Amino acid sequence: MVSFENVSKFILSDVSIHIPKGSAVGIIGASGAGKTTFMKLACGLLEPDGGNVYTMGKNPVINRSQLGRKMSCFFTGIPVLNEFRSVRDNFKDLQIVYQISDTEFEPIYSDLATRFGFDAYEYTPVKSLSLGQRRRAELGAVLLQRPELLLLDEPANGLDENAKTIFRDILQERVKEGMTLLITSHDMKDISQMCDRIMVLNQGKMLFYGNKNTLMRKYAPMDIMIIQYEGAIPDLEDLPLSRFSFDRDMLSIVYNSNYITSAEILDLLIKKISIREVNVKKPGLEEVILEMERMKGDI
Amino acid sequence: MNDAIHMIGVYTKTIMKSWFQYKVDAVLRSLAVFLRESTGIIVVYFTLLKFDTLNGWNINEMLFLFSLLFVTYGILILFFTGLRDFSGTVRSGNFDRFILRPRGLLFQIIFVNADWFAAIGHGGLGILLFVLSAGKVGVVWTPANIIYYLFAIAGGVLIQGAIFLFLATLNIYLLETGSLKEVFYWNARKFAGYPISIFHKVIQAGMIYVVPFAFVNYFPAQFLLRKEDMAAYPEIYLYLTPVVGVGMYLLAYLFWRVSLKHYKSSGN
Repeated sequence: MVSFENVSKFILSDVSIHIPKGSAVGIIGASGAGKTTFMKLACGLLEPDGGNVYTMGKNPVINRSQLGRKMSCFFTGIPVLNEFRSVRDNFKDLQIVYQISDTEFEPIYSDLATRFGFDAYEYTPVKSLSLGQRRRAELGAVLLQRPELLLLDEPANGLDENAKTIFRDILQERVKEGMTLLITSHDMKDISQMCDRIMVLNQGKMLFYGNKNTLMRKYAPMDIMIIQYEGAIPDLEDLPLSRFSFDRDMLSIVYNSNYITSAEILDLLIKKISIREVNVKKPGLEEVILEMERMKGDI
Repeated sequence: MNDAIHMIGVYTKTIMKSWFQYKVDAVLRSLAVFLRESTGIIVVYFTLLKFDTLNGWNINEMLFLFSLLFVTYGILILFFTGLRDFSGTVRSGNFDRFILRPRGLLFQIIFVNADWFAAIGHGGLGILLFVLSAGKVGVVWTPANIIYYLFAIAGGVLIQGAIFLFLATLNIYLLETGSLKEVFYWNARKFAGYPISIFHKVIQAGMIYVVPFAFVNYFPAQFLLRKEDMAAYPEIYLYLTPVVGVGMYLLAYLFWRVSLKHYKSSGN
């Protein structure tokens, strides 16, 4: 769906990537890592200084308008709606722009309006809305035309938790229906829940691109298991643990799940001691990224 | 095509709705534009009362000359507000929004906005000046003259539209074009309020060949008034306004199309 061949532009340097149709890719990186540049290259707003970009098999710069029928974008700083018009009028404009029939438009509009909750203020001019209200309408607007490719650059800014959940649900539904999603977000929960593939950018270089589970396995720091127990502690020295410690009836074990699983640890312990409670803390995507950045010299 | 006409209809309806949402405000703002522009005319009027004529042009003929400027701007601004305000469209990011849509860019820029207050203020003043002067300048309004006048108006609108389009296109290369617009449109337009024959040759050449405002009002007015100072220019110029309008607009459009290939969005 989107291919980069040795693309360089601004901070981005020699990026090659292939994003297959129907995948959901989360693009992660610190501010200034090149995420927005990557997205703008993919939709044709920017032309690469070196290398080639293909979106749906075409050069997106030359075919911007043609791709616009199948692609929808959201960028912070590029207005989606005309702020002098009401939310509904804006959607009616988009209906004409994307040539959506009335019979098709009404059910999609009312579904988006109800779920995002902008039906409550659909006749209010956009300029009178709060940031959160406006963002709900904007995200509804980019989904209206049922794009085959959706590019979202920091879409969750300004959304409350409820709206984020609704947005994630809708995106997951659309991806299941075959839409390709590219999303940048500082909210790792968004990325983690919505995306099956992750691309990590660091100062314009691609540190990782691939399956989320591979990323977690490869770069995940240690898991932590906290056990409340009764009885004499068995010998743990032979286990491939990173470290362990005791505090009264609490045992804390730090381990790398690539070498030993929590089930294997528990299997051993349960034979020796009476376990009252177990708590396993898995590292989140955020910790993985931090770990990657720490390790980047070795990657 | 039907779809495009439908879109124009919807846009026009919604633009009018938004501009005239507050009726008193709309009337006052149109009136403000009308009064602001009238002040300039009143100053010229009282200045000219001190002289009998200006290079052979009496006060009514001068008002007739002015009326062409205002009528053409009144029509122009209904269609070209988007180009007049284009630098703001680029700065606000709206241009990127238009680029990513499956519609003609110029179509979107032109039809998403129209400054109705300027249209009413300028157009209203133009019509008033025409009504005040047309009967007193000795023009016989034969069908041929009326047709000429309508073609001259259309040509004058296209000439100014082409200047707007050219200046708008420069925004693709330059960060700020406000000063250029000030010099090449607004200042040139101030000169165009007077018969160009009163100016230095360099300014005359500029008004004919660089920013051809002379074809917006001076030559069309000369066709109808036949003043003596026309002897300094080739007679063919009297008939060229529509040709200059179409030619300039096509050139500006070509410049626009070529320049779009160089448009660069910002990184973030």
